[in-house]
Amino acid sequence: MTSDELLTEARRLRSSATELRQHSWREVAQAIDHVARRFLDPTDSLRVEALGRLPEDALVSPEMAEVILDGMARDWVAERIDRAIELDFGDPAVLDGFGTAGSRRLTAVGPELTVHIVAGGVPGVGTHAMVRSLLVKSPTLLKAGRGDGVIPELFCRALSDDVPWLAEACLARQWDRDRVDLTTAALRHAEVATVYGSDQTISAIRRTAPPTTRLVEYRHRESIVVVGSEALRPERVRAAAASVANAIGAFEQRGCVCPHLVYVEDVGSGGPLGFAEHVADAMRRLQVELPSAPLDVDEASALQQLRGVAELHAATSTDRVWYGEAGGSWTIVFEAEPREGPPTLRRSARVRPWADLGELVDRLRPTAAHLQSLGVVGLGDRTEDFSLELGRLGATRVTNPADMAFPPPWWLHYGRRSMEELVRWVELEAG
Amino acid sequence: MTSQTHPPEATEVAGTPGTLKHLLHAKDALATSMHTVEEWSDSALDRWCARAFAHQYHGSERYRRWCETRGVTPESIVRWQDVPPVPAEAFKHFDFVAPEGHEPEAVFRTSGTTAGSEARGRHNVLSLDLYRHSMMGPMKSALLPDDDGIDVVSLIPHARSRPDSSLSVMASEAAAAWGSGCYWLVDAEGAYVRSEIERWLDRHSDEPVLILSTALALFHALAEGGPLPTMPEGSRLMETGGFKGATRSISRDELYARVEERWGLGQDRIVNEYGMTELLSQLWEPILHDGPSARGRHRPAPWLRVRALDPTTLREVPEGETGVLAFFDVANYGSVSHILTQDLGQVVDGDVRLQGRVLGAEPRGCSRTMDDLMASQISS
Repeated sequence: MTSDELLTEARRLRSSATELRQHSWREVAQAIDHVARRFLDPTDSLRVEALGRLPEDALVSPEMAEVILDGMARDWVAERIDRAIELDFGDPAVLDGFGTAGSRRLTAVGPELTVHIVAGGVPGVGTHAMVRSLLVKSPTLLKAGRGDGVIPELFCRALSDDVPWLAEACLARQWDRDRVDLTTAALRHAEVATVYGSDQTISAIRRTAPPTTRLVEYRHRESIVVVGSEALRPERVRAAAASVANAIGAFEQRGCVCPHLVYVEDVGSGGPLGFAEHVADAMRRLQVELPSAPLDVDEASALQQLRGVAELHAATSTDRVWYGEAGGSWTIVFEAEPREGPPTLRRSARVRPWADLGELVDRLRPTAAHLQSLGVVGLGDRTEDFSLELGRLGATRVTNPADMAFPPPWWLHYGRRSMEELVRWVELEAG
Repeated sequence: MTSQTHPPEATEVAGTPGTLKHLLHAKDALATSMHTVEEWSDSALDRWCARAFAHQYHGSERYRRWCETRGVTPESIVRWQDVPPVPAEAFKHFDFVAPEGHEPEAVFRTSGTTAGSEARGRHNVLSLDLYRHSMMGPMKSALLPDDDGIDVVSLIPHARSRPDSSLSVMASEAAAAWGSGCYWLVDAEGAYVRSEIERWLDRHSDEPVLILSTALALFHALAEGGPLPTMPEGSRLMETGGFKGATRSISRDELYARVEERWGLGQDRIVNEYGMTELLSQLWEPILHDGPSARGRHRPAPWLRVRALDPTTLREVPEGETGVLAFFDVANYGSVSHILTQDLGQVVDGDVRLQGRVLGAEPRGCSRTMDDLMASQISS
């Protein structure tokens, strides 16, 4: 693909805005719903093809591919879309013309072209982005991330089979981030560009985008879990640990919603260490129920460094390390005191004790700029006050560990309404 | 090489392993043996590996306990391969000193400026003398097999200004040992020292020189308007380090082509060194012995063992297959010898063919420190 070819495609997409705006958001939603249901139907060729290709493209096991596809596609069915539209816009009529918002008459105009530049790693994220911009009736060009090529490709193809007018308004492509010429071409005609990625990626796109393109940035963030004493009770601890393990293992921990740190309340009876052991047990079970894909060289090597350093700490302290046998990628490190160490990856997390929530907030303060989801379990009536503190610090979502991996389509992504953020509001004051 | 050598297996080491006395005796015994690059048999090396491990095991509580959790003791090992390799990342978090509690004579540091980690690796060197002995023989064999004295032109700062850089210490030691004239063209901040350049240009003659440089320093020195002229015939160039993390890079082939074009040094005069802060010994391309066909093949110092391991199982891969490299360096006697790196390579006939660094792993070593300095100078 050349930059000229991409430029031509971007122009073509932009010109499709006129046709797209002739249709109601409901028609768009129904078309998306149809594709979603095909992805969810075990007998449909679309689902069969997706599940056949995802493991190789996204480097996940077949079992994990199924979980991911189900978790993603369920958010594109009409009921979920309706709810998301309602929560973002109140009166959905604003997407098709002037509607009312209190005493105001408003309409929400989607961009003539939205370009999504999506980080790699989690299959389905690019399609989520496409769905959002199509719902606000914006032609959409997706630069899908590495490992997220299959679902958007099949999504666009399914639309072209059934809803050509919508298919004309969306395109998914992949190119290497070093191809600055292609990124530049993609952005040239974009009214809005969403960018997912590291701080470096965001900075690079800021330099590349024309001043007329509005950037919506989703920079790198990380998630944590905080476990309170109530979750350590014998009747609850296994379930709590299992939910934490599932959150760690989702998408092979490539998503920003997957925790890498687990803070456990120290109630003086070995609670944090015991909880870490429960998480390790749950990771072991998860490896059986939902196997990880084979490690690549980078990951395997990094895990050796992580485990070796953790074991050296453990050799002269009360730290502990558990990990899967050869081929099993999970690693749980219990740190009695916070340690510096190699980064966690591929189903790996550090478990640390906490004794005072105020002190924990202070410990998290240095990471405030990169806080994403906060998984909370067992805090009881302290949950709200603590969430408020973490929210003021930087977190944008407080949820149960079990729900961390798959936020609903109406989630306040980075603290903002992600569909509303795409549109331009127009107010009618006259008449 | 020098005639003041004796077969390493003939030596005995006094003192209880894990004590300073033992280390110093080992250092003395090794010192003479390390002057040869030819007389290290497998059995000799095995004995030294066992000694080094026993010393480190008894000299470091953390290391001993770590080995014990793996069921490994000096008595249990049959081969050096049985010693568990310490991850190179551990040098960022622990001070490996055997025996513990003794002040190191030097601390070599990695740059730690890239890949998201602020931590810098540190290698505590209890005996600089042992480092010197481990370094000199292989370096001389690689760079000066035919000469005992030569003008040294260094694009690496002197150790006086960069005492924590193993590369600077290496350059300084080499210059002191073999430099009939020494020219330090770069200061501690990576800036050119114009007076030194002029001093060398004034004395520039037909006598060959040894140039010491990192790849990035070389890249900048060869740039348009670079400070150095064509090199006299018989000159040779040591180049080390890479470009990862730098804002600009070129292939090694292109870099060497520029060396030939600008300085008149052919492929048969450029020797690449591979080293890392965590290892006190180095590997060299035997270019001056075997010619350009040795390009890409690094020969370890005789007391440095290497294996390529499956990164998942840490089992040795068959000869010629790619794996993560692990080294056992006897010269690390006073710290820890068996190191698991994140570098990929193949081992063929005891030599290493590097395949690069694992993606996401940090570039390390003092060459990066220098490269960072050079890069900051260029951009300022």
